[in-house]
Amino acid sequence: MNELISKDLTEKIMEYGRIKGFSDMEVYYSEGENLTVKIHGKKIDSFNLSQNEGLSFRGLFKDKMGYSYSEKVDDTSIEMLVNEALENATIIDSDDKENIFEGGKNYQTIDHFNEALAKVKEEDKIAFALNMEKEALSIDNRIVSVQYCVYGEGYGAVSIHNSKGLYLADKSNLAYAYISVVAKQGEEIKTGMAYRVTDDFSKLNPKEMADEAVSEALSMIGAQSIRSGQYEIVLRNSAVCDLLEAFTGVFSAEAVHKNMSLLKGKLNTTIASENISLVDDPHLPEGFASASFDGEGYPTGKKNIIEKGVLKTYLHNMKTAAIDGIESTGNASRTSYKSSIGISPTNFYIKKGRHSLNELIRDIERGIYIIELQGLHSGLDPVSGDFSLSSLGFLIEKGEIKRAVNQITVSGNFFDMLHEVEMVGEDLKFELPSGSYIGSPSLKIKRLAVSGD
Amino acid sequence: MLSNVVIDKILDAALSTGGDFAEIFVEDKTNSNIMLLGGKIEKTMSGRDYGIGIRVFKEVFSVYAYTNSVNEENLVHTALKAAAAIQDAKKVDRQELRNVTIENKIIPVCIMPDTINKHRKVEIMKRAYAAAYDYDEMITQVSVNYLDYIQKIIIANSEGLLVEDVRVRTRLSIQSIASGANEMQTGFFGPGASKGFEFLENLDVEGYGQETSRIAKTMMNATYAPSGRMPVIIDNGFGGVIFHEACGHGLEATSVAKGNSVFADKKGQLVASKWVSAVDDGTIESGWGSSNIDDEGSPTTRNVLIENGVLKNFMVDKLNGRRMNMSPTGSSRRQSYKYAPTSRMTNTFILDGPLSVEEIISDTENGLYAKYMGGGSVNPATGEFNFAVMEGYRIRNGKIAEPLRGATLIGTGMEVLKKIDKVGNNLALGQGMCGSESGSIPANVGQPMIRVSEMIVGGREGE
Repeated sequence: MNELISKDLTEKIMEYGRIKGFSDMEVYYSEGENLTVKIHGKKIDSFNLSQNEGLSFRGLFKDKMGYSYSEKVDDTSIEMLVNEALENATIIDSDDKENIFEGGKNYQTIDHFNEALAKVKEEDKIAFALNMEKEALSIDNRIVSVQYCVYGEGYGAVSIHNSKGLYLADKSNLAYAYISVVAKQGEEIKTGMAYRVTDDFSKLNPKEMADEAVSEALSMIGAQSIRSGQYEIVLRNSAVCDLLEAFTGVFSAEAVHKNMSLLKGKLNTTIASENISLVDDPHLPEGFASASFDGEGYPTGKKNIIEKGVLKTYLHNMKTAAIDGIESTGNASRTSYKSSIGISPTNFYIKKGRHSLNELIRDIERGIYIIELQGLHSGLDPVSGDFSLSSLGFLIEKGEIKRAVNQITVSGNFFDMLHEVEMVGEDLKFELPSGSYIGSPSLKIKRLAVSGD
Repeated sequence: MLSNVVIDKILDAALSTGGDFAEIFVEDKTNSNIMLLGGKIEKTMSGRDYGIGIRVFKEVFSVYAYTNSVNEENLVHTALKAAAAIQDAKKVDRQELRNVTIENKIIPVCIMPDTINKHRKVEIMKRAYAAAYDYDEMITQVSVNYLDYIQKIIIANSEGLLVEDVRVRTRLSIQSIASGANEMQTGFFGPGASKGFEFLENLDVEGYGQETSRIAKTMMNATYAPSGRMPVIIDNGFGGVIFHEACGHGLEATSVAKGNSVFADKKGQLVASKWVSAVDDGTIESGWGSSNIDDEGSPTTRNVLIENGVLKNFMVDKLNGRRMNMSPTGSSRRQSYKYAPTSRMTNTFILDGPLSVEEIISDTENGLYAKYMGGGSVNPATGEFNFAVMEGYRIRNGKIAEPLRGATLIGTGMEVLKKIDKVGNNLALGQGMCGSESGSIPANVGQPMIRVSEMIVGGREGE
């Protein structure tokens, strides 16, 4: 692949860095292009186009890693990049040693750039989005408006170039669509949404998405709260994904080392019920967080995090792996050129089980099927594991769905809940990618506390 | 950053296909972040954001394009690409650029943060750490995050506006973790302001550090909150997140213009109890959500949203103003040049009422007292909101009793506003980051102590 950033510029930056006293150095570069089309009232409402790039420099100065970045990728930034990184290195007093990687042997080839997607005509994208809104408004006269109707696509590429001679580059593209509809019956207003992400435009079906959003909104009409108490719970796959995403940090070795994860000291012990296996697979076909190398340039690989309830490994980068005297798991993350090296999962999912949704529900005497958890950035504490989240769902009585439920919260503790998973569904689903790509099937939980009327 | 000649060329290109309004937003921002964990500086990052956003309207159709390749050729090319989405034979003339100088009344920075050696910032962070860590043996980990930025912007549009401004912000966030047997609880404080290094120098960092650890320790010793409907007293400062979520987002033209807000057709009507008056005020000196001008170049205002329970006004941006036939209110904001601006909150708060804190508490037989709130969220279309109580207490017989953990408060916007039956006189503001359509932006929430006569408390009854 062609060099993304001029070699001349990266060489000049490292050259100046060497003069200033840096030993090992790295230039990380990323670029992207995005398009978003929003539809409202049978017309294009807005059109967004972007091209962006940014560069991050990091280097070892007296054994401390200093970082800097710039979105102005040209010669005028060289001095600023090196000088900022230098000052930043001088205030680091952490005992943990961060290094520049000399490169690995086996990098899995991953092709996640679809030429066909890059060639889809603009009018087809607009037609798709217009269609999706039209479908949504034609299904049922209780659908009074479409809150969001969006088609988007993005291309991104990254490269890592360091003073130890490593050069790695990667590019990918994807398309996504989402729709959120508003249903009104009397004074009651409900919303429902659907989303898809793909690298194949022809797989986006406007009618199917409209149907899904509309039926979700309509299904919530007549929703009421419910009496507080302990209920058997089925968490829909998408709700488990949201919860799992909020707690991914507890699997990071950095959080463990810094006494910020309750999984400290739990390796090779049972932390979940036997039917739970959790996998991080950067080579998953059709995984939208797939990568052949991580944020440090380390080769990635598949690993089981939880195997039949037993915690097998934490997620590591080179720094945390060195502390534990093991190899990195290839989970060094670089959220963007503006962030330093952290740790995050790639394609991260709970393995599917054997049960249909009907099987998860049918033996429940009185319980709730939760389809949505809200306020995940505030209603849970990743450190304690406690959560209390506003939720939407359906009351289950004698194995059957009875009515919609809203204005409730579902509360529990993530670490306790992992032990109380009684059944695992067969409906593995992934949520929209956000750096990581989180997936889960629906889960039957022994019980959780529900607050309502 | 850009010469008038280049700006002219970009605006001409943007209007070349019949657009009736064009705007450019140039941003040059230096950021500095320092992270301390366990007493040591673990991570630092600093650098420069640099880019330009171009917006074109044709009536209520809008196009937004951005790039950080800011040479003249690419900028004109980007403007033409944006314009290509509009095709109208009727061209609209634009007005000649008039350079407007704004008087900096709102962000009077004494010490620009980039003139201060980072070691001095680190010293202050370590003082915060020491105060928090030494607070109690139960405190096992403390993190301290520091950030500052200097954002220089130029806004120019086809109505002839050409204006520059500088925004400076500084924030210190502290998180403490208390540990017991196989259990952890956290406390958090994140004071910030539109100020330079003087903000940090004058900050009672020891006080904040101790308070953060006190919260974590108190929550270690707390029991789980009860469940169900009960009176809820929410204290001042960050407690104002209730108004932000329950009402504020629903008053943004972003939701109102398309009818996606429960407040859309309620102007002039009673939407809250008569005790409630609330404003969005972007003009507060050094306020975390303040600025001289908004991100469309309009001067910020003090916008009365609700007066004695009656809905008075919305927060309106240029584009949605066209949809609603209303003038902008100086509250159009964006995270960066990567986002088209839209109506957002700045510093939004409920005004002082007549009651003392003691009166409100002693008048409440039983219920929940939320001393500090965490964040929250809302679905503006349904009005359903939720937010988390960081430090809560049971109220028994008009007195604050045992501490409670893990409570989330839920409700629907208008219902809860109408149930605010007591408003105190201790107005204070709290700082947060608000995420919505145009990105994550600094916003103040605020209120005096209030009481909601009845709300659903999401706890864990029976434990």
